[in-house]
Amino acid sequence: MASVPDHVPPDLVREFSIYTSPGMERTPNGCPHAAMGYVHKFPPIFYSPSNAFDGGGTWVVTRAEDQRRVLGDPATFSSRRGHFEKSMGEEFVIVPLESDPPAHTYYRTLLNPLLSPKRVEAMEAGARERAVKLIEAFRAKGSCEVMNDFAYPFAVGVFLQFLGIDESRRPEFLAWADELLHGTNEQRQMAMKKVAAFIKDLLEQRKQEPTDDFLSFLLKSQVEGRSLTNQEMTGMGVLLFVAGLDTVAMAIGFDLYHLAREQQDQARLRGDRDLIKPAVEELFRAYATITPLRRVTQDTVFDGVPMKKGDVVSCPTMLANRDPVEFPEPDKVDFNRENNRHTTFAYGPHRCIGSHLARRELIIGLEEFLDRIPIFRLKPGDAPITYGGYVFGVENLVLDWT
Amino acid sequence: MKIKVDFKKCQGNARCWSLAPDVYKLDDAGYVLEGDIEVQPGQEALARRGARACPERALTVEGEE
Repeated sequence: MASVPDHVPPDLVREFSIYTSPGMERTPNGCPHAAMGYVHKFPPIFYSPSNAFDGGGTWVVTRAEDQRRVLGDPATFSSRRGHFEKSMGEEFVIVPLESDPPAHTYYRTLLNPLLSPKRVEAMEAGARERAVKLIEAFRAKGSCEVMNDFAYPFAVGVFLQFLGIDESRRPEFLAWADELLHGTNEQRQMAMKKVAAFIKDLLEQRKQEPTDDFLSFLLKSQVEGRSLTNQEMTGMGVLLFVAGLDTVAMAIGFDLYHLAREQQDQARLRGDRDLIKPAVEELFRAYATITPLRRVTQDTVFDGVPMKKGDVVSCPTMLANRDPVEFPEPDKVDFNRENNRHTTFAYGPHRCIGSHLARRELIIGLEEFLDRIPIFRLKPGDAPITYGGYVFGVENLVLDWT
Repeated sequence: MKIKVDFKKCQGNARCWSLAPDVYKLDDAGYVLEGDIEVQPGQEALARRGARACPERALTVEGEE
C-alpha cells in the first residue's frame, strides 16, 4: 500500500483503485460497473492511497448526494489540476475543463450555444448518414467487431462533421485516436501533439479564409473584452476531440454489449422504438464511464472528513449512478425507471458540454443498429474484454447475427 | 399542475426537454426558460418525468417538493 498522509484518519483508509482493483483490469466477459458495488459498503467518503493515474492517493466520494455537493462547490473543489498541462507542456491550455469560475463561466457562455440541443438537431442528418454507411458495410457479413467497425469510426466521423473537416481525413484521425486511447504514455502525448498541430494549422487556414465552422467562430469570439489566444483555441479543439471520442465509443460498446447479453431488453427495444430514448438514458446511468477529479483549494472539513489543501477528490460517476440510496435496485437496468437523475455527464458548472451531442449519437446509433441488424448475440467463443480506469471501456465486442 | 423553475440552478442538461419537449422550452444556449410552467392537461406524466430527470434539482412539481 502506498503511503497515507498524516491528516487522513486511519479508519477512513480503504484499498481501492479504478485502475487495478478487481474487475478494473482487463477482464473477459467483465462488468466493471457492477464489480465496484462493494465500495458502497465502505465509509461514504474514504481515502484510497493508490487511486490516481500516477499511483498517488485520492479521496473517493461514493454517494450521489455528496458528489453533487463537491461538484457544485468549485471554490473549495477546484478543476485547476493542471493534469493535461503538466503532461503536455505549455503548448495549449485545456479549457474550459481545467478552469474555475469566473473564467470558466466566460468560456462556457461562449461555447454552450455551439453544442446546444438546437445545434445538435442540425447535425442529426449528417450523423445518421454516417451511422447508416458504417452499418451497411458489415450488415451482410452477419458479424462485426463493434468498436473498430462502428463505435470509433462513428464517433470520429461526427467529430469531423462538427469541425467541418472533410471525411477523407478520417483514417488519419482514427490512427491518432488509436494511439491516444491504446498507446503507451509516450504515444499518447505524441498523438495529442499531432491533433494540436492539426488544429493549429486549421486555425491559420481559417484566419486567412473564414468559413462558418467552429474554429472560425472561435477566431472572431471575445472573452472579457479580448480575443481568444491560440493556446486557448487549440486547447478547446483538442479537448473536444479527446472528450468526445472514447466516451461516446465506449457508451456504444457497453450498450450493445448489454443488449447482446440481455435478449429481453433487445426484444423490448425492437418492439417499441419510443422506448429507445429512455433506454439510452437508463443505459447512460448503468454504464457511466468517467471519474471527475477535483483539487481541494483550502483546508476543509467535509462531513467530518478532514481534507487538506492540495488533496485530490475523485467522484466516480459510476458509483453515484449505482448509489442504492438514490436508485432502487441500482444494478438492475430498467428502461422505465422513474427519477433517473444520473450524473453520467457530471453535475454543476462543468456538466459535459457535449452531452446533447453524445445523447443524439447514442440514440441514432441504437436506432440504426436495431433497424438494420437482425437479432444479434455475442459471438460464441469470443469473450468481450472490459476494463476500468479513467474512462471505463470495452476493448473488443464481436456480435453475430448469422 | 404547475412546475416551479429555479432558473439559477439550471446548468443546461436539457434532460427535461429531452423527455418532454412540449412542456419545457430552452433558450439558444440550451438552458430552460425562466419562469414557472403551467402544464397543459394530459401532459402531467411527461412533465413530472422531465422534472424528476433534472440532475440539478432545478425543477419541482408544485405541491410535491
